[in-house]
Amino acid sequence: MRALVSAFVLVATLSLVPRALAEDAPLEAEKSSQADESPAEERAAQFVGVTGPEAESVPGGTLLLAAYAIVWVLLFLYLVRMRRLQSQTAEELERLGAEIRAAEGR
Amino acid sequence: MLASPAMSRSSQSGSTTLWSLVLFATLALFAVTLYLIFVVAPVEKQMGIVQKIFYFHVPSAYAMYIGFGASAVGSAVYLIKRDPKWDALGVAGAEVGTLFCVIVLLTGPLWARKAWGVWWTWDPRLTTTLLAGMIFAAYLALRSMGNAGEVEKRFASGLALFGLIDLPLIHYSVQRWRGVHPTVITGKGGGLESEMYWALGLSFVAFTGLAALLIWTRASAERQREETARLRFELMHR
Repeated sequence: MRALVSAFVLVATLSLVPRALAEDAPLEAEKSSQADESPAEERAAQFVGVTGPEAESVPGGTLLLAAYAIVWVLLFLYLVRMRRLQSQTAEELERLGAEIRAAEGR
Repeated sequence: MLASPAMSRSSQSGSTTLWSLVLFATLALFAVTLYLIFVVAPVEKQMGIVQKIFYFHVPSAYAMYIGFGASAVGSAVYLIKRDPKWDALGVAGAEVGTLFCVIVLLTGPLWARKAWGVWWTWDPRLTTTLLAGMIFAAYLALRSMGNAGEVEKRFASGLALFGLIDLPLIHYSVQRWRGVHPTVITGKGGGLESEMYWALGLSFVAFTGLAALLIWTRASAERQREETARLRFELMHR
């Protein structure tokens, strides 16, 4: 009986191992095709741990500087715009005044 | 750099003096505010130095309210009285309010990138602020199409009043709807440290002075521009 069970296990092992190896073959093919992918495609498909410094930092100082620069630059540009509007109006008023004086002198 | 609103009229020297006083007070306040922000107020524990954007971002939003509020008041009175000086206030308020709205919408994402990890999210307060900016940008676009006639002025005034509806929505959106925007200075917030409180308080006063000066000057320039247009029209039809 023991010999019969041993023979059954041996036959089953011999018949299943080649099938299992055949099923592993596509995985190896996939691995080789992944090696052909571009770095961007590879990055999209898996996550890889870094080997260098691990800290990710958003530069707070740069963001702060940018925010305050934006405020001052926008205010300055608005003042320049207003100054230009005032100059144009003053020039227009002067021109109209000259035209009125010329019309009254006729 | 800018001429005061009443510089062309010697009889209004009192107005010019007041304008100059407000200007110097505002400049002095800004100097003290910057000292408080960068020297006295501590760096925030969680967010670090980027939290200091808050001291200009929040008062800019407040100045935006002043500008849009002034525009709505000027527009409402213009619709009742048809007096051009109120229309000038409407234009000035809309322009200054939009300027501060742009500042808010640009400085906010710079803080959000660090605090939230994203530049923008469709949070109720952010969305309603963007909506207000778009409404008053439409107002300015309408008014910038040459010399606006009576119909355009009245339509723009209605638009400013429509924009006014959005202002309380911006303010209360944080409390009414769930969002991610901070609530440190509302009833639900945990408050600020005393140095932070002083920096923010003075910044509010400085931005109020700045908004008042800009609206005052722009309204004066608009009145002069309107007067010039009227003179040109009269001269052409003589």
